[in-house]
Amino acid sequence: MTLMEIFPLDNLSSGAYVSLLPLILLSFGAILSLLVGTHKTRGHGNAFISSGVVLGLCLVLLGVNAGAEATVLLNGTLVIDSFTRTLSFFACSFALISVIITRGIDLKENLLSEVYALILFSTAGMILMMSTNHLLFMFIALEIMSLAVYVMVAMRRTSYFSAEAGLKYFILGGLGSAFLLYGSSLIFGATGSFDLPTINEAITSRTPTAIYYVGLGLVLTSMLFKVGAVPFHGWVPDVYQGAATNVTAFMSAGVKFTAFMALARIAQYTIFAEGVPFMQWFESYIWLVAAASMIYGNFVAISQNEIKRMLSFSTIAHTGYLLLGLYAMKMGPEAGQSVIVYLFFYALSSLGAFAIIAQFESGNEKDLRIDQIAGMGLRHPVMGACLTIFLLSMAGIPLTSGFIGKYGLFNTAVNAGQVPLVVIAVLTSVVSVYYYLRVIVYIYMKEPEGDQAIFQNMRGAGIAATLSAAATVQFGLFPRAILELVKHLGK
Amino acid sequence: METTSTLLSWIIFTPAFLGVLTLFSPSSLEGQLRKFALFQTLVSAVLAIIMYAGFSGQEAGFQFTQTVPWLPDWGINYIVGIDGISLPLVMLTAFVAPLAILGTWPDLSHGGELKLEKFFVAILMFLQSGMYGTFLAVDVFLFYFFWEVVLIPMFFLIGIWGGKERIYATVKFFLYTMVGSLLMLVAIFWLVRETQLQTGVLSASLESIAMLRFAFDDSSLWAALQSPQALLFLAFALAFVIKVPMVPFHTWLPDAHVQAPTVGSVFLAAVLLKLGTYGLMRIAIPLFPEAAHYFSTMFITLGVIGIIYGAFCALAQSDFKKLVAYSSVSHMGYIVVGLFSFNKIAIAGSLYQMINHGISAGGLFLIVGFLYERLHTRNLNEFGGLSKIVPVMAIAFMIMTLSSVALPGSNGFVGEFPILLGSFQTHPLMVLFAGSGVILGAVYALKAYQLVMLGPVTRTDLGDLHDLNLREVIAMSVLTLFVFGIGFFPKTFFGKSDATLNTYADTLIQKVGSP
Repeated sequence: MTLMEIFPLDNLSSGAYVSLLPLILLSFGAILSLLVGTHKTRGHGNAFISSGVVLGLCLVLLGVNAGAEATVLLNGTLVIDSFTRTLSFFACSFALISVIITRGIDLKENLLSEVYALILFSTAGMILMMSTNHLLFMFIALEIMSLAVYVMVAMRRTSYFSAEAGLKYFILGGLGSAFLLYGSSLIFGATGSFDLPTINEAITSRTPTAIYYVGLGLVLTSMLFKVGAVPFHGWVPDVYQGAATNVTAFMSAGVKFTAFMALARIAQYTIFAEGVPFMQWFESYIWLVAAASMIYGNFVAISQNEIKRMLSFSTIAHTGYLLLGLYAMKMGPEAGQSVIVYLFFYALSSLGAFAIIAQFESGNEKDLRIDQIAGMGLRHPVMGACLTIFLLSMAGIPLTSGFIGKYGLFNTAVNAGQVPLVVIAVLTSVVSVYYYLRVIVYIYMKEPEGDQAIFQNMRGAGIAATLSAAATVQFGLFPRAILELVKHLGK
Repeated sequence: METTSTLLSWIIFTPAFLGVLTLFSPSSLEGQLRKFALFQTLVSAVLAIIMYAGFSGQEAGFQFTQTVPWLPDWGINYIVGIDGISLPLVMLTAFVAPLAILGTWPDLSHGGELKLEKFFVAILMFLQSGMYGTFLAVDVFLFYFFWEVVLIPMFFLIGIWGGKERIYATVKFFLYTMVGSLLMLVAIFWLVRETQLQTGVLSASLESIAMLRFAFDDSSLWAALQSPQALLFLAFALAFVIKVPMVPFHTWLPDAHVQAPTVGSVFLAAVLLKLGTYGLMRIAIPLFPEAAHYFSTMFITLGVIGIIYGAFCALAQSDFKKLVAYSSVSHMGYIVVGLFSFNKIAIAGSLYQMINHGISAGGLFLIVGFLYERLHTRNLNEFGGLSKIVPVMAIAFMIMTLSSVALPGSNGFVGEFPILLGSFQTHPLMVLFAGSGVILGAVYALKAYQLVMLGPVTRTDLGDLHDLNLREVIAMSVLTLFVFGIGFFPKTFFGKSDATLNTYADTLIQKVGSP
């Protein structure tokens, strides 16, 4: 069996080429920015410009082409339709914001210019991962995305924490990928296919064997690892803290978004397939993981003094809320819309918050503590106000997009009959309000004392943060545009 | 009424818009900001008066309604409207706001200099928008939205410009309210879903929710607690009674009041607490009448406990501001008793009491502010005999005290008397206890007056103690006007609410089937 037989790629129509163009652009753009990044003095600037331009082109292309006909390649393995194009659009915009944030940090943290190329590689992996229905393909895409991120995490060469985080993430991530691969092979053994719709057909037409359940458990576990849900969350705080802040921002937005979309896709075809026995066990599995993530993430975040670590625990809690939305998908794929909206709004605030943190970091081993930004709202009013908006948005307070996201998510969950889980989510959000408020209290209400963080203005990060804050308020008041957009995707 | 009007939206968004302008104003205008704040409150007051003039007292339904689709996919619309219940509360807000700003100029209640003045003024404006919005929302989601929006400015107001323990106080205030309101949010999800299931239309407007029926089983306490109506009622009621605040959820209030700057205290006492009782009156009781009736004895008991407990606590305070804060706990207890008595007279009395407490508590907090600004203390034992030095302040203080103890002829009487009269017909024993609160109220209020104003002058360091200046006199005389105006001519002030209150009470009593 030659490669051509497995992946027959002979005659591509021009439409198919246009659909694939973002992927091609990203790959070549990454190589281009690798090359121009080698310049002795202007390497970082060159890489920044080339990667920014490539991502901008991809955004334009995806935006213009969003409504075009679906392209189905490789016997349904790769599906590029308006839905995946919009998801890719989101992923590219997160990547673009991350690139903008990276400019300025790259010199402070002594990152190599390759970081820009890695962001592009990783984005290509994300697009691939969100466009495929094929478990093996998903594995490959996951590896493309993750390998780049492993390198980026370990890139702060002067920091021990970064090396530790990189190694930890790499080993655990490898384990997670192995789970996905092994699980997929078991599922293949049970159903005879890697293709999710075919698997769905197979399990609904006749009762699957025990091997299938083991395989599904392994696949789900690996995806839950990637999204950072309890009890597979161990890597999250260390990696988020050890990585350079621009990388953390990229992970919390892009990687999380992609992993969740993949998880939702797998869940939709397997767990929520109708009439398959024992599926309630997997539903309970998701239920338990969701509840545990919300409770653990929120309660542990309370006691954190370092702001990045606090946000990393809060991201575990947000994973819990999102799993709640995922759970609601058993009512039908429409429930997935609120998950997408929530992820988009969360990514906006998360990117913005990390962009601000990056400007206050000293660039050495020590992390930014919450008490180091005391009085920030008085000395840097714009950045203080933006960070406040992001934190309020993550806490889900009205006027910010986070509230709309949370409302939609909890609303679908109540419609799916999940009142107990929603009550858990709501009560743990009260806990989350406490630790988000604590930062706001320091921003505006405490007198600075001891060693204070020094603000280093990075124009890119500042602009990214201000724009994200404006978008956060804008979508908090008039979210209709995003809601309609996601609604018309029609999964 | 089918006509669409944008007047209410102007009332809601004018302060917010001017607040944004303030935030972006050049710093050379810093000195003029307070005048700008006064200007804004006067503009809002004028808009409110125009609205009042156009309001028809003959109709019971919502007037000046405006509907704009907001999030149609979730059945959420921007619907505002006003009826006889929200009318007095909106007017209260419109009048208290300029007086609060007049009476606290410059607000130096905690410390020498006002920091971040621009932000301070903007926050006051956002706060007003939130309050108007909550009173005028006719959509449950919109109500929740504004309800939460009010929290943010108040959080900053106490947290940035408050006293020593301000951070503890403001975080406590925020979290307490948050617990209640998030459960309310879950109840709202449920309501919206029920609306769709029962009527087929996705909507969160009060009018469509009012048509729903929720199962209620009162065969046993356990069965009642499990029925949807009781769960919904309790979720809403919890959010509201925390805000009122009803004992045992009141502990945030003394902290918040004592730590807040004077203008914050005035807004908190005069308007913010009414959001809670307004919510009970507008949402919790009429939408879930059977459940409300079933649990009414519990709420009345807690209300009465609040009246007496609040009064005793006030009696024991040496901190003047804390005394007024606990008196609020006591006075708000009457409103809870009145609302849950399911009696026409008492319900009307509750609405009157909301306004009257706003006036008297607002006035008393202003007096506390005046004294603190001049003598830098709130300890009652450190005053004494001040009436000889500041006679005008003494008169203003006396009037507010009398209004607070509900002397006939003052506004306080107009509120408390009907509550006691009406609830006596349904819960005589409870009212017996509640009545003792009136006596206790007189004891602590007069005690405070005596300690501050009467007796020999014990204080040696009188600092810059001077009598009320012109703007303070203006603020207090407008309040005085309302105290006696409502006291002697209640019909003139509350006449436009009669039709609504009649319909409201009749529907309610008919639904629960009690006299």
